[in-house]
Amino acid sequence: MAVQCDLHRVPGFVPLALVCIAAWLTQPLTSPADDGLDRIRQRGTLVWGADQEGGGPFIYPDPDNPSLLTGFEVELAQLIAEHLDVKPQFSQGQWDKLPDLLDRGDIDLVLNGYEWTTNRAERYGLSIPYYIYELQLLGRVADDSLTSWDDLLKPADGRKRKVSLLGGSAAQDYVERFGGDNVDVALFEGATDAMDATELGLSGIDANVQDLPIWLFYAKGFPQLRPIGEPVGRGYYVAMARKSDQDLLRAVNEILLQALQDGRLHRIFAKYGIWNDTQMMRGLETDKSGGFVGSPDPAADGETKDAATASYQPSGGWTVIQKRGGLLVRSAGMTILLSITAMPIAVFIGLLIALARLYGPWYLGKPAAVYVEIVRGTPLVLQLYLIYFLVPKLLDIIFPGMELTINAFAAAVMGLAINYSAYEAEIYRGGIQSIPRGQMEAAISLGMSRSLALRRIIIPQATRLVLPPMTNDFIALFKDTAVCSVITVVELSKQYYIQARSAGAIVELGLLTALLYLAMSYPLSVMTNRLEKNLNQERRG
Amino acid sequence: MIELTNIVKRYQQHEVLRGVSLKVADGEVCVLLGPSGGGKSTLLRTINGLESFDSGSIRVSDIVLHAAAGPERDAALLQIRKRVGMVFQQFNLFPHRSVLENVTEAPIHVLKQSREAAVQNARRILARVGLADKENARPGSLSGGQQQRVAIARTLAMNPEAILFDEPTSALDPRTTAEVISVMTDLAASGQRMIVVTHAMSFARTVAHQVHILHAGRIAESGPPEQIFEAPQEAITQEFLSEAARA
Repeated sequence: MAVQCDLHRVPGFVPLALVCIAAWLTQPLTSPADDGLDRIRQRGTLVWGADQEGGGPFIYPDPDNPSLLTGFEVELAQLIAEHLDVKPQFSQGQWDKLPDLLDRGDIDLVLNGYEWTTNRAERYGLSIPYYIYELQLLGRVADDSLTSWDDLLKPADGRKRKVSLLGGSAAQDYVERFGGDNVDVALFEGATDAMDATELGLSGIDANVQDLPIWLFYAKGFPQLRPIGEPVGRGYYVAMARKSDQDLLRAVNEILLQALQDGRLHRIFAKYGIWNDTQMMRGLETDKSGGFVGSPDPAADGETKDAATASYQPSGGWTVIQKRGGLLVRSAGMTILLSITAMPIAVFIGLLIALARLYGPWYLGKPAAVYVEIVRGTPLVLQLYLIYFLVPKLLDIIFPGMELTINAFAAAVMGLAINYSAYEAEIYRGGIQSIPRGQMEAAISLGMSRSLALRRIIIPQATRLVLPPMTNDFIALFKDTAVCSVITVVELSKQYYIQARSAGAIVELGLLTALLYLAMSYPLSVMTNRLEKNLNQERRG
Repeated sequence: MIELTNIVKRYQQHEVLRGVSLKVADGEVCVLLGPSGGGKSTLLRTINGLESFDSGSIRVSDIVLHAAAGPERDAALLQIRKRVGMVFQQFNLFPHRSVLENVTEAPIHVLKQSREAAVQNARRILARVGLADKENARPGSLSGGQQQRVAIARTLAMNPEAILFDEPTSALDPRTTAEVISVMTDLAASGQRMIVVTHAMSFARTVAHQVHILHAGRIAESGPPEQIFEAPQEAITQEFLSEAARA
């Protein structure tokens, strides 16, 4: 018994076909025009990318004023920018996504402990090394069964040795090549997490292999760890630019060379306690007359590793909350902003999708169903990534030369809205279907068009039904905003990782962060309960 | 004038309406009687398009509704629905709106009346069905009889040429049935054209101008109530009436 359709259809809506977007994945990357240095000079800023979460000594919140950044790469960026006669401008990005930001044109330069590799050299312009790193094997002070790299290969207590590593790092490559099948690895996202886990012996971890500068910087914070053997696996930290920005790369090389020769780099590295003899092996140090002096900047001769003025200072308790709590609260603002912007859009798109599926002709209904399946069946993090990195490319293809782009916040809101729209669509569909058919019949019997009946009679009733489950989804969305850090949005969770890792106050700041999330979601919980209660009362009449 | 000509409707192979024709003149009350499954409600619902039909035609004044689906039929239906109201067995009031809003909804949004005019008219109609004091109530808080009277008021607010009643008292107890029948009788007396599917025999007997007995998708017998109730010609009619009397 089908109710007759009248002329008035649901407004047309063609859902985004993510499949099409995915097809662009295979497109070759197009590089921005070859005018990097000019563009930077015109703009007056050098935009450089790094991940604060990676922590010291590279770039981390200043312990005395956590809203400011410090670290040797911050000073390096300053040095390079001065040389270009512009101001440095920091841009936060997740470490492994920094090359993508370079491709996107969001940043001019990556300065974040990126190692020189042949793969990277093929794709990007890599500067001369600003630092020569080595890898240090670390073991527990209390564990005297591990005294050399070779010990790693020997099973202890009948099981293979386990080494904690920073995922995707040169240390991982090295250990896997060295140990092969004889060593187990445990991958971590933060260098300090890996050291923490080793110190505590979590999940059977015996050792850690760390970039030497990180160990030098953090050694004081990990008294239960000790270096084992000489540093190994020498490699280069390089600045990374787009391949086409050759002028920029040449200028970076110029200033690095100068600063190596005149001791400025020496002073920067010494400040963070990471200068060592390996850096001198380049033999570049000259005096004002241009003659090789054999050792770096004479003024810095007296300095030793102990003279470092900046190093890891773990803090905790009430002080760390006082000092860094404000930053977390501010980042909670970003979490709220993302949520309250994305959710209404999600609900609106969800409604359109639900209507298309329920009342639309097949050419709207079928794509709407496909949309729901695709969006529900793929991870949010992938959707965000596609939107942030692929939409600009699409725009560039559709509107060539207009240099349209999408900023991280907008991409985050779009991604969250699209992701949640699939769920809201299903909730709305269920809600609309649970409205008795007699309501639609009564409405159209009064001469209403189908769309008017939907707008005035069906949707308002369905909306009251779907409010409680949607509020539940809103709470989930609050927490899902954490994923937005992959596209450079710093919200509460990301800020927590940054602050907790640099302060070593995982517990205190973790509790505060949890409290902030709770403070945001609890009122919504209360609201859901109240809505459900009202609805039940109404139903009972 | 409402005229149904040779209406045929099938569900798959089964013919539920097998060529029904009837006329309802202005000011007339037409009652459809017959055993369950005889096609009464289905026939009623074809008139305002809640059911499609497979052949035949329906004329409401100058509007003709044909079987073939398409924009013409849709346009005709929209016109018919503005002129022909419907009252359902299950009331189908809008639960999220007050009684007054239920009545003003269509006049404001379909007839584009001003809110003031619609409210004024709605109050008059609510008084007429005896619910002047309930305008701010929610439908859920009313008794069945009160809800059905609101439904009638909602239909009346469209100033319809005819009202279709689809078993308006079948969901009600005897006392509230009486309330609704009284309102319907009052309407009939004022010359409102109505087509009523009902099991309320007394209403058919006392108020109808024409009674049609529908059986197995056909009109078995038609006539004024005196004839149908006092001197039924067809065996089907006799059987139906004696069963109704036993019930």
